[in-house]
Amino acid sequence: MSHWSDTLPVPSGQRRDQVPRDHSIYPQLLEITLHLRQAMREHFVQLTSRQGLSLEERKHTQAIREKEALLSCLIRRMINLLQSKAASDLELQVPLPSEDSRGDVRYGERAQLSGQPDPVPQLSDCEAAFVSRDLSNRGIDISVFYQSSFQDYNAYQKDKYHKDKNTLGFINLGTSENKLCMDLMTERLQERDMNCIEDALLQYPDWRGQLFLREEVARFLTYYCRAPTQLDPENVVVLNGCCSVFSALAMVLCDPGEAFLVPAPFYSGFAFSSRLYAKVELIPVYLESEVTVTNTQPFQLTVDKLEEALLEARFEGKKVRGLVLINPQNPVGDIYSPDSLMKYLEFAKRYNLHVIIDEIYMLSVFDESIIFHSVLSMKSLPDRNRTHVIWGTSKDFGISGFRFGALYTHNKEVVSAVSAFGYLHSISGIVQHKLCQLLQNTEWIDKVYLPTNCYRLREAHKYITAKLKALEIPFHNSSSGLYVWINLKKYLDPCTFEEERLLYCRFLDNKLLLSRGKAYMCKEPGWFCLIFADELPRLKLAMCRFCDVLQEQKEALIVKQLEDAMRE
Amino acid sequence: MFTLPQKDFSAPTTCLGPACMQDLGSSHGDDLEGECSRKLDQKLPELPGVGDSAMLSPDTSYLSSRGRMIKWFWDSAEEGYRTYHMDEYDENKNPSGIINLGVSENKLCFDLLSWRLSQSDMQRVEPSLLQYADWRGHLFLREEVAKFLSFYCKSPAPLRPENVVVLNGGASLFSALATVLCEAGEAFLIPTPYYGAITQHVCLYGNVRLACVYLDSEVTGLDTRPFQLTVEKLEMALREAHSEGVKVKGLILINPQNPLGDIYSPEELQEYLVFAKRHKLHVIVDEVYMLSVFEESVGYRSVLSLERLPDPQRTHVMWATSKDFGMSGLRFGTLYTENQDVATAVASLCRYHGLSGLVQYQMAQLLRDRDWINQVYLPENHARLKAAHTYVSEELRALGIPFLSRGAGFFIWVDLRKYLPKATFEEEMLLWRRFLDNKVLLSFGKAFECKEPGWFRFVFSDQAHRLCLGMQRVRQVLAGKSQVAEDPPPSQSQEPSDQCR
Repeated sequence: MSHWSDTLPVPSGQRRDQVPRDHSIYPQLLEITLHLRQAMREHFVQLTSRQGLSLEERKHTQAIREKEALLSCLIRRMINLLQSKAASDLELQVPLPSEDSRGDVRYGERAQLSGQPDPVPQLSDCEAAFVSRDLSNRGIDISVFYQSSFQDYNAYQKDKYHKDKNTLGFINLGTSENKLCMDLMTERLQERDMNCIEDALLQYPDWRGQLFLREEVARFLTYYCRAPTQLDPENVVVLNGCCSVFSALAMVLCDPGEAFLVPAPFYSGFAFSSRLYAKVELIPVYLESEVTVTNTQPFQLTVDKLEEALLEARFEGKKVRGLVLINPQNPVGDIYSPDSLMKYLEFAKRYNLHVIIDEIYMLSVFDESIIFHSVLSMKSLPDRNRTHVIWGTSKDFGISGFRFGALYTHNKEVVSAVSAFGYLHSISGIVQHKLCQLLQNTEWIDKVYLPTNCYRLREAHKYITAKLKALEIPFHNSSSGLYVWINLKKYLDPCTFEEERLLYCRFLDNKLLLSRGKAYMCKEPGWFCLIFADELPRLKLAMCRFCDVLQEQKEALIVKQLEDAMRE
Repeated sequence: MFTLPQKDFSAPTTCLGPACMQDLGSSHGDDLEGECSRKLDQKLPELPGVGDSAMLSPDTSYLSSRGRMIKWFWDSAEEGYRTYHMDEYDENKNPSGIINLGVSENKLCFDLLSWRLSQSDMQRVEPSLLQYADWRGHLFLREEVAKFLSFYCKSPAPLRPENVVVLNGGASLFSALATVLCEAGEAFLIPTPYYGAITQHVCLYGNVRLACVYLDSEVTGLDTRPFQLTVEKLEMALREAHSEGVKVKGLILINPQNPLGDIYSPEELQEYLVFAKRHKLHVIVDEVYMLSVFEESVGYRSVLSLERLPDPQRTHVMWATSKDFGMSGLRFGTLYTENQDVATAVASLCRYHGLSGLVQYQMAQLLRDRDWINQVYLPENHARLKAAHTYVSEELRALGIPFLSRGAGFFIWVDLRKYLPKATFEEEMLLWRRFLDNKVLLSFGKAFECKEPGWFRFVFSDQAHRLCLGMQRVRQVLAGKSQVAEDPPPSQSQEPSDQCR
């Protein structure tokens, strides 16, 4: 147990953060009980099927020992929960789980990797009631995880700000969507060439994407990624969104419980895609904001850090199958130089790791002085059969509702296996036609769309960063993507994830939806992600609300400090 | 320059190498995987975590063990259709190409549908359609689906949009339901013969199996018709699964049935639902052919029309536009369930099964247009289906071939047992291959897990000229049968060796 907190230090606040908002332990208990039941069942199956497996015996004994460890962990967790509940009942408002007991809980959570890669999600009142007899355990896990993460987003969907109809509605600076070029896209999509209804588009498609679209994607990527040679349509698989591509890749590259390394903070959507269907663990490679001798830039990724995380994971018995990189990075906004990219790829090759590179923001680099280098532009890849590139139109063309994502990989095995998911992640033929027309029109993209989009992103970025500077809020990202990564540490006292969550709730109470660092697996509390790719009037109002909340927060802090001082 | 989609997709010259064939092969996937090309006696590989997958796992593979199994699904899907897609029939360009009577698609009404989808109301583009939305589907569409199903399923009370979840097709729905209702390794009961692709849909992500309720063609005992499903048979299959240690979580019913073209009467349906309730089983009722009942007299009733469902919380209904509106390429399917836990859990997975906002808008427009559906589309579609059905069944009668089909769906379930020298699946496969050699593609019974060798599914929902030619080629094969059966099949040496075993 102690070795756990040694290896991955958890800031003190994180523990409290895991206690549900309403202090109800019921859903947690239930979940543990369900896992317990499952674990016991498996345990007995293993015990009863021991005979006749002499070859496998060693493996078996090992498995049984692991199961026993898990069982005792789960039971301990239940006891701890009951104790902490008793404690919170006494104290009424303040949940005070002891350090030790929470430590155990975390250990328990980590121990059940195969079933559940991430810590138990935070449950609120509404999900506490959500316990179903009709769902499978994994069905409950999926539902609870999803509901707890998307509750606020759903509230936003139901009560969106509208300049005339709903001036008090939510403004969303928390979901990474580009709303700056809706006029251009709407116009483009209404043009005549977009509407085509042919028999072939209404019939069963080629499940990895119609050939005409895969050809266009190959051409498009060759051009915009500046590939040294023409990319091959046979290496393209087209699905309904990048999250589907990621989910399918996780399925075919990992078995349940195996893992990918991901530099943290990272895009929170990966947590879903790895967990909901695929049951793959994401092991964060924690990056730090502080600049030191070895850390020459904030949140700098180095091979040393990758190596350390990998070895640590292996030491704990985890099977790491790959490395996930996002370039341009989300949420920090860094762009990897060709040199560092090469180093990461070589590191991966050294350890036989697959590399999934998500380049979904590649055309959203709005600082003209910075050149983005796609991994597809490299003359030679260290391990081309283990390098898989993801791109989609959601961000770069601001059409997340279109549902389109593409995989590019040289590995034929991976192409075939991911193609099998075409059944489940297919795109309408009509939409495939529109996408093809869109990607094909390089002239419009180069002369109209990209310059306008970059200009608008730059302006929005300028506006938001000027505001942040005026508030003396430190931030990262001045070149790419739709977001800035901001540091609100000074508004937290103490600087814990619980305080971070409370601040997040305060924004929410003021009808402003942001994303907080915890969702990005950031190691340090106090970071938020702010999406600026929205129209100026909405952005202005959002920043008003933002300033109000921070002002309130500041006042509350002063009051609190005064009270503390008086108590002393 | 870029050329238009349709032809590229079938032109082998534009794509190179075997990988391409494989994918063209799978382009009719829903059906082809299960129905036409499953290797004859190859069992599904053991599932990951359950058994040894060594048979598919060279250590050199880049894939995980489940990845290798998934790839197996894909690779095996390709085999039967490789030949077809290299040599697809085209009236002008390739008149001696292969006619496809194997894939269950309605190709009779593209004229009507293209017209409707090209109307100006379909072309709306607005920002909200281009952005992230409710993953259950846009509310406007769910409302329209609820109204549509209330009307066409004749539900006693209006159906509610909260109970609707919209996805990109029935395959996705099977995948999501399997995942949220079953643990890995658990099973659904399904009466055979059944639409074989479901095996893959529930397995890919869910790792869920199907426990077959084997039905036979012979009418004995209490049965009044061939392949009749009875509660006794359900009970027996359930007991059997239990005795093998397989946990059964639900029952899948396809109504109207695929491939039998039959329907369950309301009384039968009620019995099955009561059976399921008794055993606390979920029931997934796939009604994807509900508007393709072209014989009025059949008296089809949707499960949603029942006055009282025995176990409404465990009854989940599927519908899609693939069949009833002949648009398998559009990718629109929907779930109706009163169980909010199930709806929510399925919706949690919809991020992976979303369909474009623009298509959602078009679907809402289509489903809303009751006048066009009732006065133009359905009457015309039914008339065309009926004519095609009459033609094929007359042909079969003339040949003295027994078949089943009661006027629902796109297919006739044909009994070619008398053409097999021995009642084995090898012989069934050989006959299938002979059809293919004579340039007509059919689906063989084994792909539907039919337990008797010799049954074939003929899809008749195609244009008359193709249908006539297809039937002519069928006749040729059957006429030459006696002669061929004595000699070793001449085609065998040309075929990829792994296809016959």
